[in-house]
Amino acid sequence: MSHRRRHDDDDDLEPEEADEEEALEDEEEDEDYDNTSRGRKRARSQFIDDVAEEDDDEDEEEDDDDDFDGGRRGAHRAKRRSGSQFLDLEAAVDSDEEEEDEDGEDDFIVDGGAEIPDEDDGRRIHRRPLLPREDDQEDVEALERSIQARYARSSHTEYDEETTEVEQQALLPSVRDPKLWMVKCAIGREREVAVCLMQKYIDKGSELQIRSVIALDHLKNYIYIEADKEAHVKEACKGLRNIYAMKVMLVPIREMTDVLSVESKAIDLARDTWVRMKIGTYKGDLAKVVDVDNVRQRVTVKLIPRIDLQALANKLEGREVVKKKAFVPPPRFMNVEEARELHIRVERRRDAMTGDYFENIGGMLFKDGFLYKTVSMKSISSQNIQPTFDELEKFRTPGENGDGDMSSLSTLFANRKKGHFMKGDAVIVIKGDLKNLKGWVEKVEEENVHIRPEMKGLPKTLAVNEKELCKYFEPGNHVKIVSGAQEGATGMVVKVEGHVLIILSDTTKEHIRVFADDVVESSEVTSGVTRIGDYELHDLVLLDNMSFGVIIRVESEAFQVLKGVPDRPEVALVKLREIKCKIEKRVNVQDRFKNTVAVKDVVRILEGPCRGKQGPVEHIFRGILFIYDRHHLEHAGFICAKSQCCVVVGGSRANGDRNGDSIASRFAHLRTPPRIPQSPMRLPRGGPPMNSGGRNRGGRGHDSLVGSTVKVRQGPYKGYRGRVVDVNGQSVRVELESQMKVVTVDRNQISDNVAVATPFRDVPRYGLGSETPMHPSRTPLHPYMTPMRDPGATPIHDGMRTPMRDRAWNPYTPMSPPRDNWEDGNPASWATSPQYQPGSPPSRTYEAPTPGSGWANTPGGSYSDAGTPRDSTPTYANAPSPYLPSTPGGQPMTPNSASYLPGTPGGQPMTPGTGGLDAMSPIGVDNEGPWFMPDILVNLRRAGEDTVMGVIREVLPDGSCRVGLGSNGNGEMVTALPNEIEIVVPRKSDKIKIISGSQRGSTGKLIGVDGTDGIVKVDDTLDVKILEMFRLAKQAQP
Amino acid sequence: MFFHIVLERNMQLHPRHFGRHLRDNLIAKLMKDVEGTCSGRHGFVVAITGIENIGKGMIRDGTGFVTFPVKYQCVVFRPFKGEILEAVVTMVNKMGFFAEAGPVQIFVSNHLIPDDMEFQSGDAPNYTTSDGSVKIQKDSEVRLKIIGTRVDATEIFCIGTIKDDFLGVINDPAST
Repeated sequence: MSHRRRHDDDDDLEPEEADEEEALEDEEEDEDYDNTSRGRKRARSQFIDDVAEEDDDEDEEEDDDDDFDGGRRGAHRAKRRSGSQFLDLEAAVDSDEEEEDEDGEDDFIVDGGAEIPDEDDGRRIHRRPLLPREDDQEDVEALERSIQARYARSSHTEYDEETTEVEQQALLPSVRDPKLWMVKCAIGREREVAVCLMQKYIDKGSELQIRSVIALDHLKNYIYIEADKEAHVKEACKGLRNIYAMKVMLVPIREMTDVLSVESKAIDLARDTWVRMKIGTYKGDLAKVVDVDNVRQRVTVKLIPRIDLQALANKLEGREVVKKKAFVPPPRFMNVEEARELHIRVERRRDAMTGDYFENIGGMLFKDGFLYKTVSMKSISSQNIQPTFDELEKFRTPGENGDGDMSSLSTLFANRKKGHFMKGDAVIVIKGDLKNLKGWVEKVEEENVHIRPEMKGLPKTLAVNEKELCKYFEPGNHVKIVSGAQEGATGMVVKVEGHVLIILSDTTKEHIRVFADDVVESSEVTSGVTRIGDYELHDLVLLDNMSFGVIIRVESEAFQVLKGVPDRPEVALVKLREIKCKIEKRVNVQDRFKNTVAVKDVVRILEGPCRGKQGPVEHIFRGILFIYDRHHLEHAGFICAKSQCCVVVGGSRANGDRNGDSIASRFAHLRTPPRIPQSPMRLPRGGPPMNSGGRNRGGRGHDSLVGSTVKVRQGPYKGYRGRVVDVNGQSVRVELESQMKVVTVDRNQISDNVAVATPFRDVPRYGLGSETPMHPSRTPLHPYMTPMRDPGATPIHDGMRTPMRDRAWNPYTPMSPPRDNWEDGNPASWATSPQYQPGSPPSRTYEAPTPGSGWANTPGGSYSDAGTPRDSTPTYANAPSPYLPSTPGGQPMTPNSASYLPGTPGGQPMTPGTGGLDAMSPIGVDNEGPWFMPDILVNLRRAGEDTVMGVIREVLPDGSCRVGLGSNGNGEMVTALPNEIEIVVPRKSDKIKIISGSQRGSTGKLIGVDGTDGIVKVDDTLDVKILEMFRLAKQAQP
Repeated sequence: MFFHIVLERNMQLHPRHFGRHLRDNLIAKLMKDVEGTCSGRHGFVVAITGIENIGKGMIRDGTGFVTFPVKYQCVVFRPFKGEILEAVVTMVNKMGFFAEAGPVQIFVSNHLIPDDMEFQSGDAPNYTTSDGSVKIQKDSEVRLKIIGTRVDATEIFCIGTIKDDFLGVINDPAST
């Protein structure tokens, strides 16, 4: 930028300037004299600065002047001064800064400042008068006085503070001032043109009526000329090359200041700072500044190259290069050997400036695998660069460990937020004499932090620049990450490596590396970001491709999802939009032993890679369980397993929590049924099993079905699922899930096996619904059957648990006998207690000796002792009270009660639940009924023997079966008890036999498995049906 | 560290248990409720050793439950920062190993394992010195120092180190 000034007042100034000049010339020889003269000048410059602000600015821009000045100064000394008078590069109007450079250059400029008197003369009135009255006032003396008056009391340095907004306003150009004209010139010749005009002015003197010329670095193709009239501009431009004065545009007064305003961003790009590339292939990449050329506005940066060597080789050999725009090669260090292999010429050159060796490949410079690239300052951004750890790690080369860290620090410090340090923070000094001094923050001022040093013998507090401080943590501190990629996570500091902390995350139990700066001490425990959108950590979600999984980690933009693939843990990184929905169904499934598994039940995995692990079930979907084992470190503790590969460990301790107080009421009802006289002669079970006519006899319109989710099996709505809204005789009104309407379906046409939101989980509804099982129906079987059909089976399970709970609490009930029963109830002990078998429950299913009824009877007694009415109807109302434990803690005690009994180590607390269920589970109870039938493939599990495969040949009336051993049943014939028999679960495309439901006895082919449902093609009708897997058994090969 | 302290708790008892065995029931329930629990202040309640006194029961309106203030002596276990503990290794992975000292789970990060011990993956992952003389694997007993604790409502989790004098394996089941 060049600034030209009228110089017709030179003569007036002659004596003074001569004086100046003398001083200037002398200074090189005589320092002392220089000092004195400078002192004099300095004194004067106090006056000068305020009046001629531009002059003052010259001090700052002196370096830039060198380009122009230097040569000239050397050549003609005499001209130097006059040149300097014209040159006023980069008048930073906005800049309030002032420097007090006191070197030779300064003198040179102050010399320019000696022009002040010009202004006093009034010949330079146009130059933004400082005070309005000065415009009119021609009297130098008066002006001097006024200036004296203004600054007498204030020292030079206070100048800045006094420049108020108002005064600045006063400096703004008015209509009376000369105008700015924008003139087009050749691109890249802006400076040249300005200098030419200056030369012209020098040559022609006052003939040229323009005041100044401004060339802006950031404005290509144009320069500004300050003049009163357009004609003056044209006149000045006449005869000059590179300038096109055809079109001269006036800059509106209001925009004039903008022309000369320099945004005081003053980015000092120092070496070793981190920057990011703004454009090109490397857009967004982190780079490190290795060299800065302020003059040419270029920087040399070090990058990790993104070079496709093959493409480069092709290009260099002149072959056709297919431009693939979308493809950006991944960042990779340049491997010279690799390049040579591709016959790329690699030159090794020594840089003349630095003496370093660079590899030159196709015009690009490489060193240590990094690309050294010189780019324009505009193409990099240096503000708010927060290099991530990974990026820095990549940049770190072996030799650079020490200072690499330091340099990254400087950038990091620059990015510190305000209020970075807080009172009480532990800090360590990292620079300066006090390096490694630890202390605590006492007070924070602007830049300085007062710390209380740890060391004795030091002053109480020390003020340290915040740039020299770094937060300090010790291993074992519990911290929270407050910025960066891991923001929000908490953990414990495991190791401190200088400025970097290694933190063990609380939730993931993984190591996180963070900068100490990003961390604060905290006692809270969080995992960091735990939700994006509607999805939260540990949610079960359905993905785009119909797969599903549990969110095990939330990253900045994506989720890590453990997919529901049981065989191996499969983790997918999933974006928010790839998630379809959250799955919030409450489904129950059956485990290997046909126990019902609900969410929160504790299960153990029996098969697969995670065998032996156990934990509560967090989600159930399509027969897949997601189990949380806190000892499992991978996948945030989640394990995915097939329900068939798991076994419920004891009843669920979580049951109590889940059901709240209703548990008691539930027990109350459910205990009743066993007390119903067990008629050995069951009514013939005709009709569809779910035709539970008995249910309806309550006659109050309530039915256990109400509220349950059912699936329509037949009719126009076949296949739909819905919630039962109402039951009226044989018709059921179902609110369809998929369509917002309620339809009426025949009761026979629905299957209530869907087991979603089963009524007994539903507390308020439960009491009424659950009456069913204890209807003093004449068909005691029905109530059994129903629950066993649908997940309602659980009530029994629960019910069976109650007695023991009761016993535990009933001081009058002896403890031991029930315990025996529990043991017997435990499937495991069944297997190992052969002496139990003779009295096998199945053989006399509904007689007292069965474990199930055995328990039930006992509590029945004690139950009545407790005074609960036997009548089923009021049960709901009354039952809760006697058992209502007012402390939630009291509830789960039931299973645990054994645990503090001496002599029952471990307590097998959960056993009863399992046992109970097992005893009553379909196979056990209903053995001869729907479950076993001839020609199905089974596994025989007998105590003390290996599991053998067999085929049921005959089902005996007592429930046991004649089984032919061998996979086609041709081996030895044995009689097996139902509890020794396990149906072989069919696989896809196996021939199957339907063993329960309306289709019982039909054969078909399993054409697919969908979670707990199997898709079956029935042989005789060729219908395709969806049936629960437990209704299916593999058919023996003939 | 173990402490034998007196704690107090309000126990609620169902009227059904009133009678001769009231006290027994109350104590049984107390044990069941309290033993094995963890509080941030006192740590894990290991065992109840005695009952100091049982206050007068107050019948709660509406429920018929009776609340007894019970003062009991118990042994509590609370790990402290800087404490030396002996623990059994329960799991070894590349990040370090987990050990348990009674109810407390302690994690020893690989950064806090002496540098000469390296992680060996495989069937039985372990940390072994280069000469193979010392091996940390599942079920090894180690002496470690707690450097940090985190107390949750139901759990105390610690971070330990064996990178210090006299710390490390004290008994290796594999070698015996």
